[in-house]
Amino acid sequence: MASKGAIIVVKKEKDTHFLATQGFSKEINPSDLFKDLNKKKEQNLFYINEKNTSINNKIKEDLKKQKIKILIPLFHKQDLLGVFCIGNKFMNQSFTDLDVKIMSIISSHLTKALYNHHLIKELDSKKREISLKLLELETLFDISVAISSVLNVDELSEDVLWRSVGILNASKGMLLIQKKDNLILEPISTFNWDEEKSLISKKLKVFQEIKGNKKGLFLVEKDKTTLQKKLKESNLIITPLQVKNKTLGYMVLCNKETRKGVEEFNSLDLDLLMALSNQAAVAMENAALFKDITKEKNFNESILSSIATGVITINILGEIDSINSAGLKILKKEKEDIIGNHYMYLFEKDEEIIELIIKTETKNEKNKIVNIPFLSVSEETRINFSTSPRVDKDKKIKGSVLAIEDITDVSKIKKTFKRYVSKQVVEKLLEDDAKLNLGGEKREVTVLFSDIRGFTSMSEKMEPEKVVSTLNSYFSLMIDIVFKNNGTLDKIIGDELMIVFGAPTSSKDDTERAVKTAIEMQDKIKTFNKQQIIENEKPIKVGIGINKGLVVSGNIGSKELMDYTVIGDTVNLGARLCSAAGPDEIITSDSVWFETKKTFNYKKLKPIKVKGKRSEVQVYKIQK
Amino acid sequence: MSDFNLEVRKEGEIVVIKTSGYLNNVGGEKISEVCYKEIEDKSKFFLLDLENTKVVNSIGVSILIEIIEKLQDVDGKLGYYNLAPIVEKTFNIMGLTKYSSVFYSENEALEGIL
Repeated sequence: MASKGAIIVVKKEKDTHFLATQGFSKEINPSDLFKDLNKKKEQNLFYINEKNTSINNKIKEDLKKQKIKILIPLFHKQDLLGVFCIGNKFMNQSFTDLDVKIMSIISSHLTKALYNHHLIKELDSKKREISLKLLELETLFDISVAISSVLNVDELSEDVLWRSVGILNASKGMLLIQKKDNLILEPISTFNWDEEKSLISKKLKVFQEIKGNKKGLFLVEKDKTTLQKKLKESNLIITPLQVKNKTLGYMVLCNKETRKGVEEFNSLDLDLLMALSNQAAVAMENAALFKDITKEKNFNESILSSIATGVITINILGEIDSINSAGLKILKKEKEDIIGNHYMYLFEKDEEIIELIIKTETKNEKNKIVNIPFLSVSEETRINFSTSPRVDKDKKIKGSVLAIEDITDVSKIKKTFKRYVSKQVVEKLLEDDAKLNLGGEKREVTVLFSDIRGFTSMSEKMEPEKVVSTLNSYFSLMIDIVFKNNGTLDKIIGDELMIVFGAPTSSKDDTERAVKTAIEMQDKIKTFNKQQIIENEKPIKVGIGINKGLVVSGNIGSKELMDYTVIGDTVNLGARLCSAAGPDEIITSDSVWFETKKTFNYKKLKPIKVKGKRSEVQVYKIQK
Repeated sequence: MSDFNLEVRKEGEIVVIKTSGYLNNVGGEKISEVCYKEIEDKSKFFLLDLENTKVVNSIGVSILIEIIEKLQDVDGKLGYYNLAPIVEKTFNIMGLTKYSSVFYSENEALEGIL
């Protein structure tokens, strides 16, 4: 039956408060009281009187003023959990032994209750700490998962930064990337930070120190570094994004938040952010490598898809594991029908090809065969085929690479043109398709006509076989000269030859080569005639006419019979000049003379009247 | 992502708060300010649309816990929807989801919170 009382508890170290009061004015400073009691560590009941020396006099006076009669420290083992205070008994009666016993029992219960309360609070606090640790671990785990799943550098850096800001209770953050030959650190990702204000040099002392030590640091207000001034922030934590000896960049977080405001980062925060940064650096390096590899792969694929040569790779077991689009086109197959199949299945009709691949597989050497039929596709298809061993970086055989060049069209062109033009002209045409305009075009050419004088009457006296053999020998010699000078054999009409210079391909010296061809032809006929005389055959005399001018060239004819030729007035005049030329003579037009007068000797002849021309035509004769 | 903004609307007796930005000390305080005022005005059911909040820290979480405690005193409830995976994971680990509800759509949330 006391007049007043209080239970004062310790909340945290030095943090005390009144749990319950009755008639107590709370003027006592519990901290001072607890300090005194803690020195003694006595769980005794104290009477507040002069005999008690456990409490200093000032507190004792305060307690007296409050009319506190008894004070019981609530110790659990060595820990002071609180204090139980009791005032005077009603009517100032003395406390009896029974009172003291009751108070002792109450104190004991109170101690247990306070201890349980204390344990629960501590448990809650520990639980929260464990949750935070778990969150940290989960974040680290998530980032390590991201290493293998996120391969986009931007996405990854944003993810890492956001998680780091959250887990460290920072107010903002940014990821800075260090680029070669760039003094400024580039913010690859920011959170709550104005990117435009983040112009930061990598030469700042802070970054140099971090790079040198390969370890992060935290800055507090007193540090006053340039970085702090630049960012206008006092509390910073910075860690390197480090992969072995390479510093990819830095993670910068700012202001550690608490309910009471911003506080300084500490070494535990640094350890955690270092762990996050190390994980992030590996993930970012992986993502960057993947980006490079993808770029290279796309580049290689674009090359392979753009080249006309079919490229097939086969593995060590002989199975096809890749083919480019040109390969599919040549083989006339779908990718699904090829990938995974053995090459013997693919080339089952082409023994020569299979033998070549086996040779490469067994002897580890490059092989090539040209212009072979490709029966696996069709009898008409012709290809060049080459094989090379496929080796890895350790020079171990991993299979073979096959290259197929479809030359079907080339063969057709060669077949078509080799009758008309020299091999060199065919090759030149094939080198550049643009030169091969067979659809019809206007172009300037030089035409050469040659005709054996009096051959018709001569042939009437000869055996037909002899006529043919004589003509064949003559044409063979003439065409050799034409081809040697890159002329195009346009037509053979009886004993007449029509040669074109400047179609289907043209060059600057077309006219000069035409005149040269004519001279060489006349020279060769002299040799031919010597042989004719030896064989008791009549010598032949040839007249040649050359003209230069515009013609229409192209494949002209019907669907059934189409020839590459030239037509126009230029051609007609060339033929007339040939008619006008005497035996052994080379007659040219004005245009031919004008272009080649410095190279050859000409004699100006009287203008002649030609069929189809109103006015006379000025002609020239080549002088030997 | 910067600043923290709130849009508050009422769906019947439910207060829907759409957040935008970092749910930290500042963000948490702004939410609690709205919630406490609405609790005073006898509102009991609160939903947070966290679609535009991609990051939350432990201070933000502890403020949400305080709001939940206040709501428990008045038999109220707090729920969330449109949570980013990181946010949901944080709520789970910090024990928030034991005392409040996570929904996966607004409709589900509006039905489930009552």
